[in-house]
Amino acid sequence: MRVTTSDVILLAHATMGVLGTLSALWVFVETLNAQPQNAQRIRSIALIVAILMAAAGFLGGYWYLRFYPVERALILKGPWPFAHNLFIETKEHLFLMTLILAFYLPIAARDRLYSNAVARKMVLRVSMLIVLTGLSIEGAGAVIDHGVKVALLRPATERNPK
Amino acid sequence: MSADAPKLGNASAGFGLAAAVTALFNTALACTKDAYHPLNELMNGIAGHNWTTQALADVLLFVGLGLIFSAIHVTEKMKPNSLISFLVAAVMISGVGLFAWYCLY
Repeated sequence: MRVTTSDVILLAHATMGVLGTLSALWVFVETLNAQPQNAQRIRSIALIVAILMAAAGFLGGYWYLRFYPVERALILKGPWPFAHNLFIETKEHLFLMTLILAFYLPIAARDRLYSNAVARKMVLRVSMLIVLTGLSIEGAGAVIDHGVKVALLRPATERNPK
Repeated sequence: MSADAPKLGNASAGFGLAAAVTALFNTALACTKDAYHPLNELMNGIAGHNWTTQALADVLLFVGLGLIFSAIHVTEKMKPNSLISFLVAAVMISGVGLFAWYCLY
């Protein structure tokens, strides 16, 4: 078995993104039932969302700059060039919006959600936007991964025509 | 706005509006740097890669505008429901706009 640094960083990036998205869903559910008893928990989880998304961005950004060019070349020569042209381009920029929303969530969660309907509404909307954009980004990651796979699975005659 | 109506906190409103503006800025910058290559090259030079520069610009804009909007008490000037709708619309338009741009570009 050979696990490279690239593999570790890429999988850690995806894991942080999934955990950040699940934590945002956790904030959403807790906020639906906001009470004085869970106010501190909501604030803590909102902070965890920000930390996880920042970690996902740092790891993903490093991998994208350091290791992605090799995969990009493969994708662009394969049958799914749109995995790069459309999906990674959208993903890398959409993520920046998710990151800003994740940084905002702990700020929005500082209000008294259990007694303030508009503050509750704001946290519900922001956490749901993080979930939706997070899921879209994960889906785009799967398409990019498949773009590499179908490029590598092409028959050798197609890759190296005589 | 009635003084008794529920309001967002000062920071929540200020940084919420900043997040909406940053989302729109992020999509506008992504499209502009692709369409205008000198900007892309300039951004490559600032932080080593245009994406890194864009990430830094987004974070700085969000923090800067958030502090400014909080300082000018945006919560007193904008209805909270309007601000929430603006944020949701900005993120959705920006997200769909990015996808549409890369579909066409």
